[in-house]
Amino acid sequence: MGNERAMSQLFRYRDLVWALVARDLKVRYRRSTIGFLWTMLQPLLTMLVLTIVFSALFRFKLEHYPVYALAGIMFWNFFSQSITASMNSLKGNASLVSKLPVPKAVFPLATVIAGVINLLLALVPLFVILLVTGQPIRPAVLFLPVPILLAALFTLGAGLALSPLAVLFYDTIEMVEVLLTMLMYLTPIFYPMTIVPEHYRWIVRFNPMRSVLEIFRDPIYFGKIPPITHLTVATVVTVIALLVGVVAFRRSSARIPFYV
Amino acid sequence: MSRDGVAVRLEGVELCYRLAKQRIPSLKEYAIHWMKGSLAYEKLWALRDVSFTVEVGDSLGIVGRNGAGKSTLLKVISRVLQPTRGNAKIYGSVAPILELGAGFDAELTGEENIYLNALLLGHTRREVDARREEIVAFSGLGDFIRTPIRNYSSGMVARLGFSVAMAWIPDILVLDEVLTVGDEQFVRQCERRMEEFLAQGATIVLVTHDVDAVRKVCRRALWLDEGRIRAEGPADDIVDRYLEFSGSA
Repeated sequence: MGNERAMSQLFRYRDLVWALVARDLKVRYRRSTIGFLWTMLQPLLTMLVLTIVFSALFRFKLEHYPVYALAGIMFWNFFSQSITASMNSLKGNASLVSKLPVPKAVFPLATVIAGVINLLLALVPLFVILLVTGQPIRPAVLFLPVPILLAALFTLGAGLALSPLAVLFYDTIEMVEVLLTMLMYLTPIFYPMTIVPEHYRWIVRFNPMRSVLEIFRDPIYFGKIPPITHLTVATVVTVIALLVGVVAFRRSSARIPFYV
Repeated sequence: MSRDGVAVRLEGVELCYRLAKQRIPSLKEYAIHWMKGSLAYEKLWALRDVSFTVEVGDSLGIVGRNGAGKSTLLKVISRVLQPTRGNAKIYGSVAPILELGAGFDAELTGEENIYLNALLLGHTRREVDARREEIVAFSGLGDFIRTPIRNYSSGMVARLGFSVAMAWIPDILVLDEVLTVGDEQFVRQCERRMEEFLAQGATIVLVTHDVDAVRKVCRRALWLDEGRIRAEGPADDIVDRYLEFSGSA
């Protein structure tokens, strides 16, 4: 199947993708008010803990730290939850794809779309925090669709690359979770770059996640459009992730019906 | 979409299931075996040099013993499995019913499952809206359509599955041993619908152990044995030869 064929297939199944997105969100917010509140509360509580730990115990100076941390946590939650959910989604539907000629990419795709919607909803309490802490909301937030789109495509690439492995090997998900935790500490989510000792900074700099995070956080935290350098790096990283994801997915997902 | 009146053309199709000699279900073990170069597989050829053509508007029945490769062949025709070697050309849309209740969610009602299933078959929501009542009527499930399908009997699930798959005339209808679950009346109803399909130029490929159904529905038949085509020809002839062979074995 050529690439165009695969794309037109996905387009044909667009209503299925939306149905899967709706189901995903419904499950997430099942106990409607509690479910919705929890999505808001979880990052807020994490933010609170981090604020106490980092500003009271470790003591580094960062103005409006709660906003800095919350933006980072929201980004990371979107990324890591979407990846894990992509893997589970394909795994859960593996027996289905061995009986119906459904384009397998609909499952990771729907998961990432649901994740984006969830992220957009979580922006609401973030803006409330901005108002409460007296951090001004600047017009630069109108730039947010760009970093969110890049983050979504980056995450889709990673989800595509990893989800077939989760079907073929039972231990994939737990191993990816370990890797994600490691990657989380290597990404300046709740610490500023300045606390990283000079000679270790290159590790964080070479972390592909970093620029994708920074361009998301810049409009919120600094109230500015991210610098062109970060934008360029983030775009290149995203394109690479997506290409790797598509190629890996097409190679390994064809094997799924053989193993179920 | 068909080429020279052909719906399905298989040329030298071979399909191999690679069974790992020692089962390697984990990524860690896979990595270790890969590094040691000790990944060994036992090859199981489910299809061997299978070549045949189904013309548009034709109906083909596939017979053979258990494990002969019938279901695998249907999966190739349904575009679920890609052949290991050879060429499989399938022209047009395929509506496959390879397993009863595939793609159904037990917690959803019959009606919700109509949508889910039709979307999984590649239809749009609007298309389902237009046919919903027709599907419910064909299924004959009445008020049960509003209850979760975990309460359904297998016959009722079959009715629902058929009603969805057969609501639209596909270019190729693929059925795997699923007609036998419905009751007499529903089976007749399905057979009538299949005749309608054929009259309108659809192609049908059917696997079943019910040889009478093959005689009734199919014009041609193919006898598959150990992954190879043993015989191919008019349905009655092939069924006779197959029965004769099975009786003597």
